[in-house]
Amino acid sequence: MSHPATTISSVKLAWALSWAAFWTGFPFKMIVALLLLAAQIHPWEGAGLIALLALSVPIDIWALGLTARTFFLERMGIEVRGPVGIGLWWQGAVLGVVTLGVAYYAVGATAAVCKKATAATLELVNKVIPIPVAEQITIELLMWAVPTTIVAIMFLLIGLKLFGWRIKRFAVASGQTSSASLQERVREWDDWRVPADSILMLVSFTAVAVLLTVAFWVLLPVTTTHRHPDYPPPPTDAVKKKVKPEQLLKKTDATLAKAEAVLELLEKEKAKEKKKPAGPGK
Amino acid sequence: MMPLLQKVYDFVDERIDLKTLEAKMMKEPIKGGSRWAYVFGSVLLFIFIMQAVTGVLLMFYYIPSADHAYASTQFIIHEVDYGWFILSYHFWGSSAMVVMVFAHMSQVFLWGAYKSPREMIWLVGLALFGIVMAFGFTGYLLPWDQRAYWATTVGVEIMDKTPVVGDFMARFLKGGPTPGQMTLSRFFVIHVMVLPGALMGLAGLHLFLFRSAGPAGPFRGTPEELKAKTDFFFPRQVWKDIVAMAAVFLTISSLALIEPVVLLEEAKPDPGDYHPEPEWYFLFLFQLLRWKIFSGELGQFLGATAIPAAFMLLLAALPFIDRGPERNIFKRPIALLSWTVVMIGILVLTVSAIINREFLD
Repeated sequence: MSHPATTISSVKLAWALSWAAFWTGFPFKMIVALLLLAAQIHPWEGAGLIALLALSVPIDIWALGLTARTFFLERMGIEVRGPVGIGLWWQGAVLGVVTLGVAYYAVGATAAVCKKATAATLELVNKVIPIPVAEQITIELLMWAVPTTIVAIMFLLIGLKLFGWRIKRFAVASGQTSSASLQERVREWDDWRVPADSILMLVSFTAVAVLLTVAFWVLLPVTTTHRHPDYPPPPTDAVKKKVKPEQLLKKTDATLAKAEAVLELLEKEKAKEKKKPAGPGK
Repeated sequence: MMPLLQKVYDFVDERIDLKTLEAKMMKEPIKGGSRWAYVFGSVLLFIFIMQAVTGVLLMFYYIPSADHAYASTQFIIHEVDYGWFILSYHFWGSSAMVVMVFAHMSQVFLWGAYKSPREMIWLVGLALFGIVMAFGFTGYLLPWDQRAYWATTVGVEIMDKTPVVGDFMARFLKGGPTPGQMTLSRFFVIHVMVLPGALMGLAGLHLFLFRSAGPAGPFRGTPEELKAKTDFFFPRQVWKDIVAMAAVFLTISSLALIEPVVLLEEAKPDPGDYHPEPEWYFLFLFQLLRWKIFSGELGQFLGATAIPAAFMLLLAALPFIDRGPERNIFKRPIALLSWTVVMIGILVLTVSAIINREFLD
């Protein structure tokens, strides 16, 4: 009897694992990206990108391991021993780099050729039926983008085919076929994933969620960084000038003493004026 | 479960039969097992709840008057703590809702899930689609800047082309010859009272009908195969729904951070340098109306009213026209071709409108 892993198409197998692993890891990567964005660091360039890529590696290894184990057990009835994620991830990473490198040049060349052909075709069509400019640009975009996408998809299929072939080899080498029914296998897998101390798991999960939420609001700027031209930021001098209570009190006391002295002087002068004898009447 | 939590659970259960409710909610059988394709409905509900939460927070500061709407929105953006983020989340959330409605409708259409006995779910879903679009249309005016004012002017003008009721609808919404205080008041009331009420009622009916008819399940596989793979709503579909909700929440938040709301000038009856256009999800219709064949009275009526109305009527009549039991999209070539043509058409026209905008600017 042939091994269950050899009966499935390589492309389908690689796609099923990669797709599920992508969506499993995606929310975690998004959390990292969101925290970076809240801290005003762009996750698509410089240090932000490096941080995101570095954190994506363990997330991908975990996600790939989880989805591969699930797929092997549920769809193929294979139980895999040992670490699955790391074993598949490095092979996928090497194949991905090679395929992407070749695809980059092939897709670029296809796009260049198709753009030239499209421009020539539309020039001819325009002589017969004039097309509005905006629609012409969109159609042009579609005409060169469609064949370019087809080439990109072909490379994706080649990459998946190669990755699927490696996954099959991995499953045959490290997996053992299970004679249990699908329901039993699913229950076994679910039980395996349920932690022994579910309260501890729930509390830890909630604590991490609270911590991340607090981190997000702490990192997030309180006021907008994209100000409207009519709403300039408050003058920085006023913000920078710190209030020193002792000095302020001393200054106020001095001002009050000065005012008191002036008042006293004025009152004395007024009293003197009152004391002056009245002039001779008419 | 912790003793205290267990006591609370037992207390509530004794009074409202929580166990039965839980069994009904969580143990819904899903033929063929859980799927990522089934997450759109739950995600839509989640987005609506988040829109309601952020909307209420915005209402604490927003003043729906022509004199203060713009200033209060600017106050939210520039003065209120985290106001800019809440407003930007609400703004991007509305776009996410439109995208998800399109995705949900496409999934139902491609899966043939509108067919008997699920015709009523489809019809209520279409009404919900209309409500989501109305939410976007009415909410767009509220910041009262040039973009808001002119998008509404264009939208109401398109509505005006409808025979018999068009004039009444346009006058009712505007409350005067040009958009002003009456327009803002009416749009505000519709946005925060009428539409949420209608959406909650219809979404409840939609869910009730869905639970009554049951999920359609995958379009491939024999009844025996599907039965063998049957799963309950909890935990696998719940997990997929939660992951999808988290992904949507994080995407909307990221968009709010990358591209936060920045208002244009305050609304005025002179567009100045601004080229009026509706929201992005109405751009395809706006671009269609620029075509020569849709110029003139008849052309405008055809493009703005007759074609969209005919399309909506066709969608409503779909379960009654397409009565064949076949649900596999690859065995329904007309359906697949129609969906592809409509999607490419919307994409081409929307991109064309954006390119046109570049030319105009």
